[in-house]
Amino acid sequence: MQELVRALDLRPRRTWRGTKNMIMTVLLGGSVVVVAVPLVLVMVSVFAKGGSILFAHFPKFLTADIPPTRVAGPGMGPAIVGTLMITGMATLIAVPLGVMGAIYLHEYGGQSKFARLVRFMAMVMTGVPSIVMGLFIYVVWTLNFKLQGFGGALALACLMLPIVINASEQMLKLVPHSLREASYALGATKARTVLTIVLPAASSGIVSGSLLAVARAAGETAPLLFTIGATRVLNTSLFHGDDTALSARIFENAKEAVANAQERGWGAALALVLLTFTLTVIARVITAFATRRK
Amino acid sequence: MKTWIAILASSTALFAASCKKGDDAGNAKMTEGKGAAKAEPTTGPVSLSASGSTFQKAFQEVAMDSFMKSHPDIKLTYGGGGSGKGRQDLADMVVDFAGSDSKFKDEDKAKIKGGDILYFPVVLGAVTVSYNVDGADKLNLSPDTLAKIFQGDITKWNDPAIVADNKDAKLPADAIVVAHRADGSGTTDIFTKYLDAASGGAWKLKSGSTVDWPKNTQAGQGNGGVAQIVSSTKGAIGYVDLSDAKAAKLHYANIKNKNGKFIEPTSESTSAAGEGIDVKDDLTFSAVDAKGDAAYPIAGQSWIIVYAKQADPKKGAALKQYLTYLLGDAQKDLPGLDFAPLPKSLQDKAVAQLAKIQ
Amino acid sequence: MTGKPDLRGKGQLADKAFGGLAVGAAALVLLILALIAVTMTNRARPVLGHMGLDFFTSSTWSEHDNIFGALPFIWGTVYTAVIAVTLAVPVSLGVALFITQIAPVWLKRPLVYLIDLLAVVPSVVFGLWGVLMLAPHLNRSFLTAGIILAIMIVPIITSLAREVIETTAQADKEAAYALGATRWEMIMAAVIPHSKGGLVGAVMLGLGRAMGETIAAALVIGSSAQIALSPFKSGDSMPAVIANQWGEASDLQKSALIGLAVTLFVMTIVVNLIANRIVQRSMQKSRGA
Repeated sequence: MQELVRALDLRPRRTWRGTKNMIMTVLLGGSVVVVAVPLVLVMVSVFAKGGSILFAHFPKFLTADIPPTRVAGPGMGPAIVGTLMITGMATLIAVPLGVMGAIYLHEYGGQSKFARLVRFMAMVMTGVPSIVMGLFIYVVWTLNFKLQGFGGALALACLMLPIVINASEQMLKLVPHSLREASYALGATKARTVLTIVLPAASSGIVSGSLLAVARAAGETAPLLFTIGATRVLNTSLFHGDDTALSARIFENAKEAVANAQERGWGAALALVLLTFTLTVIARVITAFATRRK
Repeated sequence: MKTWIAILASSTALFAASCKKGDDAGNAKMTEGKGAAKAEPTTGPVSLSASGSTFQKAFQEVAMDSFMKSHPDIKLTYGGGGSGKGRQDLADMVVDFAGSDSKFKDEDKAKIKGGDILYFPVVLGAVTVSYNVDGADKLNLSPDTLAKIFQGDITKWNDPAIVADNKDAKLPADAIVVAHRADGSGTTDIFTKYLDAASGGAWKLKSGSTVDWPKNTQAGQGNGGVAQIVSSTKGAIGYVDLSDAKAAKLHYANIKNKNGKFIEPTSESTSAAGEGIDVKDDLTFSAVDAKGDAAYPIAGQSWIIVYAKQADPKKGAALKQYLTYLLGDAQKDLPGLDFAPLPKSLQDKAVAQLAKIQ
Repeated sequence: MTGKPDLRGKGQLADKAFGGLAVGAAALVLLILALIAVTMTNRARPVLGHMGLDFFTSSTWSEHDNIFGALPFIWGTVYTAVIAVTLAVPVSLGVALFITQIAPVWLKRPLVYLIDLLAVVPSVVFGLWGVLMLAPHLNRSFLTAGIILAIMIVPIITSLAREVIETTAQADKEAAYALGATRWEMIMAAVIPHSKGGLVGAVMLGLGRAMGETIAAALVIGSSAQIALSPFKSGDSMPAVIANQWGEASDLQKSALIGLAVTLFVMTIVVNLIANRIVQRSMQKSRGA
């Protein structure tokens, strides 16, 4: 018996196929590393260089006016307020409109020709480059109303609208139809049903989807370049005078050769990254919370 | 239902609040880059807006800061954007005064809407040839070599023409990347006028605020933009005013002047170039390729251009005050910013011209 | 809500109003897109009248001579996007395959978060890093811009690829293993053929996004109006030109820049339409199977 086993030698062998498998596995794992490398490099730069001005001069960096290019020192207050106000206004415009649009698509339109067209166009709209949105608002708004923060808000709202519509429609789809039917059976109108039953059920998904859209809008630069102008001092009005925002400011400072301005650019980048990360994390937490509850 | 009403109410309140607030926030602030906001004439305080040359921008920022401290009811803004933009904004009457390193072209004079204009020289400054090459701390460059580099005839740093003037330097075989201005620039005008005058026919691309540069060159916005290309690109060379070049910590070359000496751009060598200038009646002149052993050959200048007839007397008065300051006390700040003050005779002529502003 | 509420009249009005609002909001999408097409084309007319079709074929762009030829920028846009996709696709595909086929369960979530993190970083931050950290070493060129764009489109391609790959029938995978395939062979035999269509669509979506990206390109592409084949040369792309030249542009130049925007608009929409069609078709096919 033992001679037979030895003669047959049934041990698993290293084959070319096996080696190939191992190589490919390593390569695939390597691609994860390749993706991680730039992310790590960028984050390290942002936190190290930005942190040195943001944390060292906390909270002055967040509140002081922006110094002239050559002057050393912290100060991004106007840009932070600008980003918050402009993005906030854009959210106030885009989210209600987007949710209403999604409500139409799912609750009223269904698969009608018009609804299918709108859905298709919303998908097309997500692919419109942000610079085109910025120029569009320049042509229809800024030329009539001059440079102001509100123009930027409009441009960002145009960017956010299709995203909010898509995300909200997905959330509305998840609400079980039985809830709606129960409401109709009790005599409620469609509007009442949507407002009091469907929306609350879909709310966590809609909120988290909207937060992601807000995070995306806060980081956009191109739409603001043509619509808000530029200023280094705090402007608390969205309707009068030039405004500035973190993204626009980072772009300006990235084009400077003076170390002081570049340093402020990194600090602004850190502030912006922290803002977008926070919004994203909150969105994810809301989603996780909601799914856990279900 | 109630929550929706609450949300609606609070957002309307936010809307209304942001509409009302900041009525004065829009008026004249220190703006930079694009979009110099039009200043609205007010009864009490006065606002003046300007745009244009980035050559004198650093000076304007400092001068406006100190002037506003001593005259709290006058607000000033300087938008930059290049001499071309400044002239266009002034012609369209979008700003109250413009900074420009070059005159209006004859064909553009018809577009000037507000009547006669006056040129007030305010600074002299050096245009450096800045570069980014390993192994060359201080390069000597002659005008014909410069012309050939910037028009693309010389393409490598170890070209014999460059090596001839720099026996000590170890120049690599790297490609030269030429950086120039994308916007309409008085600095370009000064630099190309110099190449026209001094290169002995080697420069073929003519002079002006914009030039048809070879296609493989890189363009930057403003003096700061060119400075940034040079500082972040290996093998780059570009023309940047001294003030911006120093702020960006660039290396710049010594240029061979008319008397054959290689001169470093400094406030002193610029003043030396300013000595022999031939000033026309309208106070325009050119300081490039000046005579004199110590004169830096690519010396430039910048003017403030205003309308002789001022529609608003309050603005006209404020303008005169600011110009008096620029031509007087502010001149002392110039060497510290790496510019050169005006020669006394020119200064006097400019102050005398102030009377022409009505 | 029980009892006998008389919901006629008042209730009906509010209901109709709500429905109307909803329709209006949805119609806004159509309105905005139509307005974009109309107003921007209108603003681009002066330059098209001045240049005619030369706007698209001339390679000279000189504001000083009032000649505006968009060809170098169309080239730059397409070329950098192609470089970006060439760099991003192998990596994205690799990551998607790794996450779906190789990673143990506890690793999947963190990896997905890693990709999401990459997606959340604003493009201007990548641009800042590119111009201050990358450009001093690589100089500004099509390649440098392509690298930054690649980093930015990896999350898009990866997440779509993941979705498509995960629709591979478990039965097909098990069949491959039953026949003695190694994991890699199973991927090649079951996953890839099934996902091919969707993957192509994902790649095209990435292409569309790379074409429209403004800031990163504007900072590191080099701003040279040249059509060059070498990726190490500097160039320019349509959105970068618009962003960089807008501030000091004359009226005719602004019209030319808007013309560029319209060209970019049309090109990205076409790419996105094709991409979405391909993705939808492949999703339908897999559902059918």
